[in-house]
Amino acid sequence: MSVENDLNTAANLLHVWTQEATTPEPERLDVRIDVADLLAAVKTLHDAHWGYLSAITGLDLGAEAGELEVLYHFCEGAAVVTLRVRTPRTDPSVPSLYPIIPMVTVYERELIEMFGVEVTDTPDPSRLFLPDDWPEGVYPLRKDFDIADAAREA
Amino acid sequence: MQSKIDKFTIPIGPQHPALKEPGHFEFSVDGEIVTDASVRLGYVHRGIEKGTEGRNWVQSLYLLERICGICSHVHATAYCLGVEKLAGVEVPPRAQAIRVLVAELERVHSHMLWLGVAAHEAGFDTLFMYSWRDRETVMNLLEGITGNRVNYSANVLGGVKCDISAEQDEAIRQGVDFLEERTRHYLEVVTSDMMFLRRTRGVATTPKAQARELGLIGPTGRASGISHDVRVDAPYAAYDIYPVKLITATAGDLEARFIVRINELFESYRVIRQILDTLPEGELTVRMPRRIKEGETVSRVEAPRGELFYFIKSNGTDTPERIKVRTPTLPNMASVLVLAIGHQLADIPMILTGIDPCFSCNDRMVVVKDSGGDNRAMTWEALRQYGIEYYR
Repeated sequence: MSVENDLNTAANLLHVWTQEATTPEPERLDVRIDVADLLAAVKTLHDAHWGYLSAITGLDLGAEAGELEVLYHFCEGAAVVTLRVRTPRTDPSVPSLYPIIPMVTVYERELIEMFGVEVTDTPDPSRLFLPDDWPEGVYPLRKDFDIADAAREA
Repeated sequence: MQSKIDKFTIPIGPQHPALKEPGHFEFSVDGEIVTDASVRLGYVHRGIEKGTEGRNWVQSLYLLERICGICSHVHATAYCLGVEKLAGVEVPPRAQAIRVLVAELERVHSHMLWLGVAAHEAGFDTLFMYSWRDRETVMNLLEGITGNRVNYSANVLGGVKCDISAEQDEAIRQGVDFLEERTRHYLEVVTSDMMFLRRTRGVATTPKAQARELGLIGPTGRASGISHDVRVDAPYAAYDIYPVKLITATAGDLEARFIVRINELFESYRVIRQILDTLPEGELTVRMPRRIKEGETVSRVEAPRGELFYFIKSNGTDTPERIKVRTPTLPNMASVLVLAIGHQLADIPMILTGIDPCFSCNDRMVVVKDSGGDNRAMTWEALRQYGIEYYR
């Protein structure tokens, strides 16, 4: 199947939950969905055997926007479909994909510790990369985390 | 008195000063059999993703290249391809071909390094010594082309910094001829040596369905019949001009992973020769803007260990807004935890090595009895020895 066909298939599968769909590059499809629809959308892709979950990216949109964005990248051949969900910066939370994709735990552990996003019902929320003595509530990939400040305090 | 069955938890890791990437595993065992496993990484976490947000696009290249000492070139390639896409810059064909050439030489060195490490873990030190001796050939070639044995720094934004001279062309051909002959020998050894096969055949067998569920990628997945290879699925750089053949196997055990990786070496040799035969003439670089247009891109390349994923976001300045890197070892590492269960403790070194992790030997290991007391220390070396003795 060509990239175009793959992307069309995905667009149709995700149609019901799509808030906004864009094609920033020829082989990519970005689909904005609501956090509440995430599991249903992922399950649909998964059940249709559309690609595999390649990575989860966290984005801090900044204090002004007041939101974090979580990107779930699925790849099928050359096609990349990204599910984008937004969650408030003050109390960020996304559901765990563990019931659908069990291998997701390592990605979710990274998201939790780097962005402070709560991943509900993930089986293992323990730290994966950060040191044991890393302070609670400090999330290094948030935009307001400054390495120089942290080094001075330590 | 009622005897209580003690469950042992065996922590392995995290540190070894001489080796590149430490990790920490905890294996619960019931007698010899592993019943549970967990992993803790991050002992070499350096905050590189965050680091790029405080550096300009050029500085970030050199930082990202240092994520991995074995496959530095693929990191730089993934990053450069992504940034060039964002900038809308067309890189000259000669530069793209040289990128692929160096990438395949790097794959040869990485696979041979792994072959040696895996043989060593199985107690087959003759094979280890031979494969590492032969690997020097490709290390010398890489040094000849780029000036460096590790962190080659062949890429710059907008092209490559090194050309292939007529002498280098000849040296590469000779080196590849020698390595090809040696590789044939290795393929024969790993598929016929009975002692070695006892450590690999039928060990950590992962059927295709399970491999898909575990999210195995790269040669580890291809040994279970997962037909993914970014070079084939989504050809980047010059892989559309120099296509590679997808190498897979069906057995899904450690032996299949040896066969897949060794067969990939032959494919690399073929591509290297083809590039030398038809290397396009022309410039090595184009001008890159200092500021990169606002936008987001995904850049995927096939590292020696599997798909390497980059997400790059630019805010229109000379500094990246966000760079996300997902290395191939992460999804593969998770599989070790599942595959270890039900296997002998003695098989653990081989199962770990089977995914070709960017994690190596750990020199500190403690066996702890749950109820406390009776602790004894055991090194990774001792565990390796234990595995070898067990199968003697």
